[in-house]
Amino acid sequence: MNRLRRALAVVLPALALAAAGVAGARAEDAGRACGAPPELLEAGAPLPATARAVSGGSLRIVVVGSASVLGPGTSGPAAAWPARLERLLSDKYPGLKVETVVRGAPGLTASDGGDMIREELKRAPTHLVIWQTGAVETARNLDLDELAAALDAGLGQVDAAGADAALVDPQFSRVLRANANVEPYLEAMRLAAAAHNAPLVRRYDLMHAWAEAEKVDLERAPRSKRVAATDRLNDCLAQAVAAVLASGVEEAKPQTQ
Amino acid sequence: MFGLVRSGQGRGGGGSRDLRADFFRGVALWFIFINHMPGNWLGDYTIRNYAFCDATEAFVLLAGYGAGLAYGAMLDRQGWLFASAAVLRRVGTLYIAHMFLFVVFTAQVGYSVAALDNMAYLDELALDAFGEQPYRALLEALLLRFQPAFLDILPLYIVLLLMLMPALALLNRPRLLITASLAIYVAVRLADVNLPTWRGGGWFFNPLAWQALFFIGCALGSSRRAGDPAPIPRSRALMAACAALLAMGAVLVVAWQRPEPLPYLPDWVASFLSGVDKAGLHPVRLLSILALAYLLGHWIDRDAAWLRGAAAAPFVLMGQHGLPVFCAGIFLSFVGRVALEQSEGWPMQAAVNLAGLLAMVAIAAVGAWYRQRSGEGGRKRAVAERTALPAAAANRTMAE
Repeated sequence: MNRLRRALAVVLPALALAAAGVAGARAEDAGRACGAPPELLEAGAPLPATARAVSGGSLRIVVVGSASVLGPGTSGPAAAWPARLERLLSDKYPGLKVETVVRGAPGLTASDGGDMIREELKRAPTHLVIWQTGAVETARNLDLDELAAALDAGLGQVDAAGADAALVDPQFSRVLRANANVEPYLEAMRLAAAAHNAPLVRRYDLMHAWAEAEKVDLERAPRSKRVAATDRLNDCLAQAVAAVLASGVEEAKPQTQ
Repeated sequence: MFGLVRSGQGRGGGGSRDLRADFFRGVALWFIFINHMPGNWLGDYTIRNYAFCDATEAFVLLAGYGAGLAYGAMLDRQGWLFASAAVLRRVGTLYIAHMFLFVVFTAQVGYSVAALDNMAYLDELALDAFGEQPYRALLEALLLRFQPAFLDILPLYIVLLLMLMPALALLNRPRLLITASLAIYVAVRLADVNLPTWRGGGWFFNPLAWQALFFIGCALGSSRRAGDPAPIPRSRALMAACAALLAMGAVLVVAWQRPEPLPYLPDWVASFLSGVDKAGLHPVRLLSILALAYLLGHWIDRDAAWLRGAAAAPFVLMGQHGLPVFCAGIFLSFVGRVALEQSEGWPMQAAVNLAGLLAMVAIAAVGAWYRQRSGEGGRKRAVAERTALPAAAANRTMAE
């Protein structure tokens, strides 16, 4: 049913646009989240607490992650993807009060992240936890079972607190791919997300797709353009996260609506 | 190339060489080479995409099988002390090979990280453990407590062979060997014990668990040496059960690996799949590889003509020279990863895969040629000795 609805949701507007002959509409559609493959923008799981918060008018998001949530290499804190995400959500849901708490530190493992999540959940009622993790484990070739256990425990806490969770997996980089055994770690992230019915933002696949399409490619950007490219990456990523969240909110709406 | 393949026919003794084991070892080595290169398109088609086991399981089972055959024969002829000394010699070779690959890998990471130019966004990707604490890293690598990515199979193999030294005593009592090995496997899984690594956590492949597969292989190889035609007889029911197990595994693994998870896949599937650990050789993985081996062992005839054909020859040859081909494969996969880092389009994919496979076959061919040549010399000596010491010479011919 969901698939049919999703398919219709894509096909019907497309037909309508084609019929109306709106010039440039196609280009705009292709530009969604910097041209990310559409299947990477689907949540695949509902976000009920977030949907309720959106209807209620106030949404508290906790973003936990290792270095990249802090926006290293960007032009400033406002350019980091969590800050951009907050603005995108405010634009998408007018009247919604979005509060985003960002916590992270370089070298943060999943089990450190789980501790931070516990603290934040205690501090204030939270609707959504966006958990960017797995990167440190992948890069350092750390224990896979420990990663799986930490993800399971961390997501379990979020479930128990009645909040939604969304995972964000490691960044794509050719250097990482050439020097680390990335696939088992990505697989562990996918499995943990699926086992807890939580959306997974497949940042690795997104960044790979952007790099292949030459939309954003930090590794190939010349030094002088690197800050601009990092800003753009954070922008694209924020758009992708927003799209996944919106899809999860949509999935949480009752079927009869 | 055919001339280089050892068929062993007409040698007498326990029967001719089982080319099936050589062939599948060769294929496993090729898959390991492919799977060690993330970004290699062929990686989407190796066995791990269709089953709850991958080339590592096949490699370890066949390594056990080969060890059971070779060291078993040595055990019979020269006794436990000699055979375990031979195992120890092998361990030494593997250890040196591992340290060589460690140096190569470290050089590769160092090169990549330097080329990266301290890019800020990669801060979280602190790849360069060696650069942070070089002396400590070196020491830990020597102790096998620091195993960089992709350098985890040889340490496993080293510890498995060390375990084989005392276990050789049980080689002629395969039931006891398998019982003891499975008992340790169960205990290790229940107690969740693993060998330690430098930075916390356990080995990527826990030897205490993986020994189960290795010693099952040893017992199979040892019984083959004893002339037992098929350790587990052909049974319709068992074959059906194995096929069903593999089919179910294939459905789950393939369904799971679709780009988007299927919405009708129940939640427990993901929970179950996330529990199927590779480090501790989850029972599903163990059963999958054993089922696969059983089916292939009974479906493919020992004397199947295609095993002696042109298509199989490169793999049989690779399988017959497992160690150098394995080490070369790991080395080549480093080079392949660096190449794919530069460009990942189809010309590079084709170049990396073709060059890699050709190089591995070439290394096997050189090894076979050298062995053949030195073997000829050895046989001449044997003929000379036969006149003086007929019994010893007969033994030596059997050993070849």
